[in-house]
Amino acid sequence: MKAKLLMVALLVCSVLCVLALSGCKRAAAVVNPEQAFGAYDTEPDWNDSTKLVKLGYQEAQGKRVFYQYCVWCHADASPAGPSNRSNVTPVPPLLNDGEKLNGESDEYMQNIITLGGSALGKSAMMPPYGKTLSPEEIKAVIAFTRAIAQPAYQKPGRPGSQYTTK
Amino acid sequence: MPAEDMGKLSERLRLTFAISTVVCVLVLAISPLKDFRAEWKRYKRAFVKYAQGRPDTKKLLADYKPEIDQVWLPGMNVTDRCTTCHQGITQSSLADASVPLPFRAHPPIPHKVRDWGCTICHRGQGPATEVAEAHETTLAWEQPILPARFLQASCGSCHHADLKETPQLARGRELLTHLNCQGCHKLSNVDQPMLGPDLSSVGYKVSREWIYKWLKEPRTILDKDGNVTVNGYENEDEPRMPKFRLKDEEIKALSAFLSVQKAKPIETYKINPAVVAAWSKKPDLLSQGEVRFRQMMCTTCHSLAVTRGGETKLIGGDIGPELTKVGSKVSEEWLVPWLRNPQAYLPHTTMPRYGWSDEDLYKVSQYVMNKLTDTDLLTNVGQLGAATDEEVKTGKRLFTEKGCASCHALNGEGRQKDFGPDLTALGAKNASELEFSKAKMEHNLVSYIQAKLQDPVSVNPAARMPQYSWNQADLDAVTTALLSQTGPAPTSALQHLVVPKKDTSFQPVGAFAQVYERYKCYACHRFNGFGGTLAPDLSYEGSRAQRKWIADFLKNPQTIRPTLTLRMPQFNMPDKEAAIAAEYLSMAVQKPDVDPDSVDTRQFTPAMASMGKQLYEVKYQCQSCHTIGGSGGYVGPNLNNAGNWLTPAWIEAWLRNPQALQPDTIEPRRNFTDEEVRALTAYLMTLRVGIKPQTSKSAGNAHAVALGAGR
Repeated sequence: MKAKLLMVALLVCSVLCVLALSGCKRAAAVVNPEQAFGAYDTEPDWNDSTKLVKLGYQEAQGKRVFYQYCVWCHADASPAGPSNRSNVTPVPPLLNDGEKLNGESDEYMQNIITLGGSALGKSAMMPPYGKTLSPEEIKAVIAFTRAIAQPAYQKPGRPGSQYTTK
Repeated sequence: MPAEDMGKLSERLRLTFAISTVVCVLVLAISPLKDFRAEWKRYKRAFVKYAQGRPDTKKLLADYKPEIDQVWLPGMNVTDRCTTCHQGITQSSLADASVPLPFRAHPPIPHKVRDWGCTICHRGQGPATEVAEAHETTLAWEQPILPARFLQASCGSCHHADLKETPQLARGRELLTHLNCQGCHKLSNVDQPMLGPDLSSVGYKVSREWIYKWLKEPRTILDKDGNVTVNGYENEDEPRMPKFRLKDEEIKALSAFLSVQKAKPIETYKINPAVVAAWSKKPDLLSQGEVRFRQMMCTTCHSLAVTRGGETKLIGGDIGPELTKVGSKVSEEWLVPWLRNPQAYLPHTTMPRYGWSDEDLYKVSQYVMNKLTDTDLLTNVGQLGAATDEEVKTGKRLFTEKGCASCHALNGEGRQKDFGPDLTALGAKNASELEFSKAKMEHNLVSYIQAKLQDPVSVNPAARMPQYSWNQADLDAVTTALLSQTGPAPTSALQHLVVPKKDTSFQPVGAFAQVYERYKCYACHRFNGFGGTLAPDLSYEGSRAQRKWIADFLKNPQTIRPTLTLRMPQFNMPDKEAAIAAEYLSMAVQKPDVDPDSVDTRQFTPAMASMGKQLYEVKYQCQSCHTIGGSGGYVGPNLNNAGNWLTPAWIEAWLRNPQALQPDTIEPRRNFTDEEVRALTAYLMTLRVGIKPQTSKSAGNAHAVALGAGR
């Protein structure tokens, strides 16, 4: 008799506990932040316009700066139609040219945009943009470059520690 | 009761008490356990663990507190606990995309989280401490987080003036103006609407059959193969006339009513019979007409459909309507006087009044009436006959009922005001304030706006709003602009932070005012923030260009930028008007600190010029963007004639800081020394050529955006 009652009581308790705990678990598993928040902008893959590259905030700002200042020489078409690339020697790399640009560090890219080609022993045809664009804008352009790079850009160094909130 | 039973009962009672005590203790224990396992606390602990796995642990945990963190700004109505979980938001070392959410740093923006909180921009529930409640719509909370692709809407709530960082918002506001949404709705921070044509005399211009066709399908027309094309052609530009859901008899009635609108007889103009007689027999009349059509640069504002390689595209500008089939639309009696003086038929038109010779007028009008046609355009309309009184009466009623008068003036009657709902606070509405009808969709503001824009009857079967056709980018842009309409700021602290939109206008005075209105300079050029963006901003033209050059250019415009296909039209401007315009532009629109006469060219020596040439060609390699003598890049203007065109004061000021003269120019600011500035100026002033007539060679055919403003 006693045992029976105790059993019942314990069962009730455990059911209550399970219910209470499962309640908070359910709430935790709903939000996928990428889905809830999404991308700030997209850019068609330059080699395959059916594929869209999702851009984060900084990359989207970089896209804006790129299409105002850089597109003229670092793309095959410009908002005014033909590209100026063919008028420039040596021919400047396309912005998505991963084979050429993936190997350059962020610091190097920041420097060449800020100081221009001649300051780094490269072509003087690349003018310095350090007095026209802010350091943040230049960083944003580099982030955009990395986002659209083909082949895809891999960040140097070992990958960060695996992390989960679970 | 026997004692034995009593003992049994008390034993049972004791047991019950004992068990219930255990139950109570256990149940009570759930609460602290639950609290320990609260979602936000798990994120707190996870952050500590994450920080410990990094080399900069100390810095990351410097002001760590194991409790709820909140940004409380009572003046702005902000109580945001987002930083409880988003703990690395101000840590610059956590900016990288490999840092897991929610610990990643916020990208650098001008507003600091401690001063602004989060929900002012991102929406969502600030005080919530659970992930779902903070981010999503639930029964208790109505404001979901704003998806990132509409985030510029939040900028627009306070920044009523456009920002360069928010191109999508600017595009959305531009569409609200362009599509004349203010014809029916009240909106704030949007430019004055562009009106639809005044229809008072439309009966002279088009036939009843054409009106019928237009009302039936102003946007999509099925071609012979059953392909649906927009506005006659595949076109990314949104045509301004939307589609109304009209029954056939309603279209008949409206077309009848409009076809009898002949309020003001059109000015008739008879082309000199000698010219007609001389030209009408010539076999190359139409091809000569086309040549003049192109030379006068009609395509700077109007586009034509061109088929190349099986692909039909509209080529040309979008300031005026596309003209591919206009010969099958308008009557010749209307076209000739219209070309001579458009402002007589439509006072608010932006079409300039060209100076025509009878010969040109005949050639071009014949070309338009005979070549820009489509014989199939009206085949499936049939003959509608003369309008009956009954139809006209019904049409008149429908014209008001359907809201036509919101965009189109008729017989001097002002436009209808406030036909549709006030949208100035739409962006701040909660889901419960919206009517979703039976539409199956997520009940939130963004879904509502997008559904309403795409198909107005989907959320409200009785909607009077017509149907627009959008591409995804424009749909999102308009949604963003509408979400930015959040009404007056909720608190006075925020009210003080609003950046107002500047009202711009430019009213020249004196003789130039008439020239300005006749040639509609503002349709393409900008003056002190007012006017179009297609062509160069002329606010400082008097500091930039030499007076003689301006007069010559107006009489015979040349392409300064080699890649442009949309160019200044050939107005056939008389000498007198060119002189008036040149005088006004060179005297009245200057940059105060760039006095065109402040630099004396006599100080420039040949040695300076040759040093300048060296700098141009070798040290700075300006030829990557500028053309001189046929070689060089075509990003910047051609400098062949710089010595006749630019003032030396302007060149010096420009070389020192281009952005000070034109904020959005792409020419970078350099570190030139004073000596280099003078040398380059001396060199550029030596570049002079005689003005030659322009050739109609076109380089490329895409839309050209003058000055390369990134759009």
